[in-house]
Amino acid sequence: MSNLTFQTIRKSFGANVALHGLDLAVGQGELVSLLGPSGCGKTTALRIAAGFETADSGAVLVGGTDISRMPPHKRNMGMVFQSYSLFPNLDVTANVEYGLRTRKVDRASARTRVADMLELVQLTAHATKYPHQLSGGQQQRVALARALAIQPSVLLLDEPLSALDAKVRASLRDEIRRIQTEVGITTLFVTHDQEEALAISDRVGVMSQGNLEQLGTPTEVYRNPSSAFVARFIGSMNELPATVLDGHTVRVHDVPVHVTRGTQLAADSQATLLVRPEDTHFVTNGEAGLAGHVVGQTFQGVSTTVSVRLKALDALITVHEVGSVEGRLEPGDEVKVTLDGRHAVVEAVG
Amino acid sequence: MSQVGRHRFARLGPNLVLIGAAIFFIAPILSTARQALQKVPMPLFTWGTLFDKWSLAGLTAVFDEDLFWPALWLTLKLAIATVLITLTLLVPTALYVHLRLPRARPLVEFLTVLPYVVPPIALAAGVAAFYRANARWLFSSQWALVPFYVIMALPFTYRSIDAGLNAIDVRTLVDASRNLGAGWLTTLRRVLLPNLASSILSASFLTTTVVLGEFTIAVTLNKQTFPVFSFQYFGRNPQGGIALALLTLLGTTALLAVLSLLTRTKAQRAARQKIRMAAAPLPIP
Repeated sequence: MSNLTFQTIRKSFGANVALHGLDLAVGQGELVSLLGPSGCGKTTALRIAAGFETADSGAVLVGGTDISRMPPHKRNMGMVFQSYSLFPNLDVTANVEYGLRTRKVDRASARTRVADMLELVQLTAHATKYPHQLSGGQQQRVALARALAIQPSVLLLDEPLSALDAKVRASLRDEIRRIQTEVGITTLFVTHDQEEALAISDRVGVMSQGNLEQLGTPTEVYRNPSSAFVARFIGSMNELPATVLDGHTVRVHDVPVHVTRGTQLAADSQATLLVRPEDTHFVTNGEAGLAGHVVGQTFQGVSTTVSVRLKALDALITVHEVGSVEGRLEPGDEVKVTLDGRHAVVEAVG
Repeated sequence: MSQVGRHRFARLGPNLVLIGAAIFFIAPILSTARQALQKVPMPLFTWGTLFDKWSLAGLTAVFDEDLFWPALWLTLKLAIATVLITLTLLVPTALYVHLRLPRARPLVEFLTVLPYVVPPIALAAGVAAFYRANARWLFSSQWALVPFYVIMALPFTYRSIDAGLNAIDVRTLVDASRNLGAGWLTTLRRVLLPNLASSILSASFLTTTVVLGEFTIAVTLNKQTFPVFSFQYFGRNPQGGIALALLTLLGTTALLAVLSLLTRTKAQRAARQKIRMAAAPLPIP
């Protein structure tokens, strides 16, 4: 049974269409991310779920019940906001207790619940501090505790990490996932950061201009992007001009590439082939390949990103090599590369 | 020129300005104090009589005037009524504009400044004509002044509350509160009012000082408020009038001091919070 369902939600702000009929079902205990560039409609979807915006048409269901007409304060959803949202006039305990007091939970059980929540986010020692005495990461953990204290049916996370610096962001991201799994709560997570989405989600929904382009597991959206937009938005892509030979083969300069997914484009039409850097390999023996020379390299520990300028196409591509290439490849070296079409996407030109 | 000499010379300019400003502000107060507290006939205020007959009697004489206490009481009542009506009107309005009509903010700001540029006498004459024709009962009541005072204080009060709302992230706090199950009233009581306390307080004090100082409209509508009494008292007893002016000055200064004491800790806390927020990396849109 799915716990949070969007049924053909449409929403416009004036002439600007934010959502073109969003259909999405988040399962019980599942963490689904909505990922996309700003203005793609992901935050609107979340705000409609929370009740802060009203959909023009369509319905939002929680546990099978239509809550589209319910005001936000009756929806029993926990939400963590992008900007710091703790009440500045209340200390950590009073902030976490806030939702329990509005629900008229008796004082003793409220205190127990607050203590449990603070332990969950590991902030017991800061119970009597005020928001301005906490770091950004701590404030967002209190916000998470506050959202979970009310035992919500759904947890909504609106870019909760984007105001934090990189190190805190990564550790809080993992903590959110740990807590979400521990509590087993249905969660909708909105982010523009693909790394974040891939790291903590059960499924990722990639959005663009009010449409859900693809919904799938992190591996699916990364390995089998349904469109060129998804392919470009998640991870990096080498883009090469190609000519379609048949439904499963394209030619890049003089090298044929077998594209597993295939293409609908007619033979001889011009296209762009999108191939991931890790699917681009150097040719070691005398096989056919695209000739070029090494332009530069960036060593990243586990792997090295090598930039290559292809002679015939005058295109710059990147190749991921495992480990270091020190002593093997230097800038200026003549190389040949092949393209592995297993996860490639063919896009029409123009 | 030596290093020290140059320093001294560099500070001379600012110090001269400071001394000039001090004389400009303090000299009138000192001469007011002299005229109020020295039992010397006006023409005899010279350097020669500087130390003669100082007494506090001049200050306290006004308390024996029959009309003093009713006038003061009326003005205080008007101040309280003005503050209450101002807050009831402005807090919800400012909130509504912030949350629902952010694009209307420049317009609302402009409208609230208008009373500052309209001369009080024009306001009084116009509205008096309207009152006479349509609401004679209010015109003859002492409360007739309250609507004027609400309008005249608008440039200060709206600005103060607007600044208070700008200092907090109203939308997020309201959303968070409602998300946690609070209705509008609970949100107002537990989140918004506590966080706006210092700006509401300063709006109230500013309103009070406007009411304490307003003369034109009160005299046009023939109401015996404190400023009107002060003026008449000055006519009867110039030295007493000056003493009263000194008392009023001391009173409002004390009010201001109380205000800054009451709001200081909160303001400091807010300032620290702001610095912390500014130090955090900007969210990527």
